[in-house]
Amino acid sequence: MAPDGNLEILMAAYQGGDFGAATMLIEQLSPQLHRFFVGQLASRRDADDLLQETWLLIHKVRHTYRVGEPVMPWFYGIARHVRVNHYRKASRVALHEEQVETPSELAAPTPGTQGATNELAELLAPLPESQREVIVLLKVEGMSLEEVARATSSSVGSVKQKAHRGYERLRERLAAMGLPRGRRGGLS
Amino acid sequence: MKEREIDELLAQATKDSATVSPALLERIAGSIKPSLRPVRPMLPGWLLTGGLILIAIAVALAGAARAGLSGIERLTVFERALIFPALGVLLWASAAEFAASMVPGSKRRFHPGLLMALVCLVLMSVFVVVFRDYHTTHFVSAGITCLVAGIAHAIPVALLSWLLLRRGFAVNPVTAGAVAGTLAGLAGITMLELHCPNFQVLHVLIWHTAVIPIGAAAGAFIAWAPQMRAGFRAP
Repeated sequence: MAPDGNLEILMAAYQGGDFGAATMLIEQLSPQLHRFFVGQLASRRDADDLLQETWLLIHKVRHTYRVGEPVMPWFYGIARHVRVNHYRKASRVALHEEQVETPSELAAPTPGTQGATNELAELLAPLPESQREVIVLLKVEGMSLEEVARATSSSVGSVKQKAHRGYERLRERLAAMGLPRGRRGGLS
Repeated sequence: MKEREIDELLAQATKDSATVSPALLERIAGSIKPSLRPVRPMLPGWLLTGGLILIAIAVALAGAARAGLSGIERLTVFERALIFPALGVLLWASAAEFAASMVPGSKRRFHPGLLMALVCLVLMSVFVVVFRDYHTTHFVSAGITCLVAGIAHAIPVALLSWLLLRRGFAVNPVTAGAVAGTLAGLAGITMLELHCPNFQVLHVLIWHTAVIPIGAAAGAFIAWAPQMRAGFRAP
């Protein structure tokens, strides 16, 4: 992960219209943002779409970033908004599809695309959305409690509580699966 | 299983997560290039907060001056010293929260529901301490007049605040709408405290304070309605 100071400088240059800075930001932050979407159970294809959509929105609202403020919560705040909107749209589409009663074999996802998630998503699958999100931001993306609180528009106390509960669930699930201590034994 | 072991599992799963294809990164960079121009960053938070407070106070003062300042004239110095500083602090808290809600990743101090509840609770406590008239003369008719006047002054505050923060981007429009409504409601109640000479406890507690939850609910609804409409238009 790039140091925040470096990202701040790049962000200021991006606001100044520097295409090189924009490209560097895209290269540095896209893998993290992509992992954030994959960790939220998005398929690879959905994560790619969400990433593109996020960068378009970042570009549109880049003036709302203030130099001196933490950069990562700003990016993840926008990514989170895109993900929530995507989830809402998908729910609406699913509802309409059910009403039309399309034959299920026509609407079935193509194997290896729609349903394809990775081990991270699989590991976090049993968690409720809010706990999963907090664990991805804290443990996978390496953000601080304060940064996660800012990105999710909540308090540090609430983030701590969600992370604790999420870990409890993960612990229960992993124990139930009988995973050997300190070793990954496959989750599927 | 210890927390450290779960951390290790997560780290391993993260390593296994696939990387982003360079073609996708190129496509993203290419899509923003044509519209890449210098932009002016949003004003600092303290300036936006100050602007919002000024709007609220200006509208409340103008409204009360037009309708008559009989409320503040009848209040004792002690009563004024309790009511107006409380209104000032609550205005500052709501304005700061509203300005923060328009910048992604801003520090949030209050959940909008909690903010509205706190504002109502603090004001009701102040009113209970200050006012001692327990009569309920013309309770409904006088109350509705005050409620309408309060809401009528909240509307321009909401519109002007939106104008000031129109360059902002709310990651959660419903939350931002509720906070904006609380701020507008506070402007309405400030106008009522300046103007209304009816110091009956129940009148003030119910009809004056009601401007705030009504403002917050209206703000949240106005922000939520476009999302709902978009839902109906879904394919």
